[in-house]
Amino acid sequence: MLRRRHVNSDYAIQTIGLEKVYRSRWRGREIRAVSDLSLRVPAGVKFGLLGANGAGKTTFVKMLLSAVNPTAGTATIFGRDAREPEARRPVGYLPENHRFPTYLTGSGMLHFYGSLSGMDSHDRARRVPELLEQVGLKNWGDVRIRKFSKGMLQRLGLAQALIHRPRLLVLDEPTDGVDPVGRRQIRDILSTLTCAGVTVFINSHLLSEVETFCDYVAILKKGQLALEGKMSELLAGRGYRVTGQTAAGEIIDRQLPTREEANRFIDQIRAGNGWIEAVAPTVNSLEDLFILTTGDDKAA
Amino acid sequence: MKVLSALIADTFQEARARWLFRGLLGLSTLLIAIFLFVLKIDLVEGAISFMGIESTSRHIWDIRHFVNVSYSWVSIVLYIWGTFLAVFASAGLIPTVLEAGRISLLLSKPISRPMLLLGRYVGNFLVVATNHIYLICSIWLIIGIKTHIWEPRFLLAIPISLLIFSVLLCVVVLVGVITESSALSVMAPIALMLISTILAARGIVLKLLSSEFSRDLWQVLYWIVPKVYDLGNAMKQIILYDHEADILTPIWTSALFGAVMLSCALAVFQKRDF
Repeated sequence: MLRRRHVNSDYAIQTIGLEKVYRSRWRGREIRAVSDLSLRVPAGVKFGLLGANGAGKTTFVKMLLSAVNPTAGTATIFGRDAREPEARRPVGYLPENHRFPTYLTGSGMLHFYGSLSGMDSHDRARRVPELLEQVGLKNWGDVRIRKFSKGMLQRLGLAQALIHRPRLLVLDEPTDGVDPVGRRQIRDILSTLTCAGVTVFINSHLLSEVETFCDYVAILKKGQLALEGKMSELLAGRGYRVTGQTAAGEIIDRQLPTREEANRFIDQIRAGNGWIEAVAPTVNSLEDLFILTTGDDKAA
Repeated sequence: MKVLSALIADTFQEARARWLFRGLLGLSTLLIAIFLFVLKIDLVEGAISFMGIESTSRHIWDIRHFVNVSYSWVSIVLYIWGTFLAVFASAGLIPTVLEAGRISLLLSKPISRPMLLLGRYVGNFLVVATNHIYLICSIWLIIGIKTHIWEPRFLLAIPISLLIFSVLLCVVVLVGVITESSALSVMAPIALMLISTILAARGIVLKLLSSEFSRDLWQVLYWIVPKVYDLGNAMKQIILYDHEADILTPIWTSALFGAVMLSCALAVFQKRDF
């Protein structure tokens, strides 16, 4: 039975008690892929979803986009039940391990997915060349997709997700197989979009990329929400690193947990005629935070 | 409607890109070419000329009857040939669209699942319909031009062949949605065609079966399974004799079977996780 509680359209994504249990038909075994997951993604932010392999990230995204039916709970997109086809109209999606129809050309594919999103032919005719240029595939519109490299497919996939000017972008490993220049290009496109108010939801294994790009993050552990919050709040304010030299020439490099302790330590050094080289606030890297949260050292 | 058109156009594009469908059109053209060749050879020319002589005293056959016999047999050949080839050609179209990474993207679009499956079904049906119309109309034109006898009843082969294909396509869709296997999607309708032919011999078999249960089981199976044989036979009788054959019963029972299969396919597709 799906639970119905208060939903708010200020959130691009809101899930309440979302749950998915896979049952083996013959053995009767149950696998709880996602369990009681309540998550809010404010509209207009860059949100990163992390988790170890099998943590339930992909199942969560698929439930959001109705490829997987939830066992319990609700998922809404801009306040509409995600199971309604209309709720998915403002969503652009780039799946991981996508399989685009190889018999289509680059522009043919954009036209096809554009029409499925309800765009008329005039709008598509304007939008397709514009997007191909934006993702650096201007001269590849008439080439069949089977000739595209992995990085080119990824960029075409991004163009596909953007074709109907979505308000929410759900990207599963958006830079997978893309070279560093292409990654930068994709990041720039996404940044431009967020400036225009588009919500970007990224499911990625690349922690450094999520750390660089996203301003909100959630970490899943065994199908449950283990941590959620603003990236700046989760990573900042973890301590201070003081470096310098004592009067006797001894090198100082100390990590202190609070500002008060750092100040007391600096006073001691100065009182002993020592030198302070640098005082720097230290933050956890997302990797540290991830390992601390998930409790293992596996990559996301 | 826009979405449905896009799905149909996509199925056409995929059909065009797949060698199987090119092969289907190629084989149809080959059959037409063979037909042209057969009608051109001296034996057939001679037979037509002989039967066309009005003054002959031996009117064992008249030309119209000869042409109708030809039409009826050709319609049966096209019915079996066309249905087999169409089922083979269509088998892969559902499993390919259910591939991970393709289906999840399609489902993320603002379209309902039934619409997605129906778009694929209708697209597939129209591709085969194009081929059937091309094949049967070409043969009709060739016979008509050759004999100057235009028998419109022969064109009945188009709706009848397409009806039975649409029913078998429902089975292809259901098996495809459940198993995602192209091989099984071919095997199931072909098996149904063969079973239907065996079950149609109930007149003889029911006399041979000693057990009441076996006879009842045979009858039940006969009414459930689409009547591929009966429809073909009724079509042949109508083309040959222009008299009322019982074509409505095989039509509605087969259509009902197809509707049930398609409903099951839609229900399974609606509930499946991808």
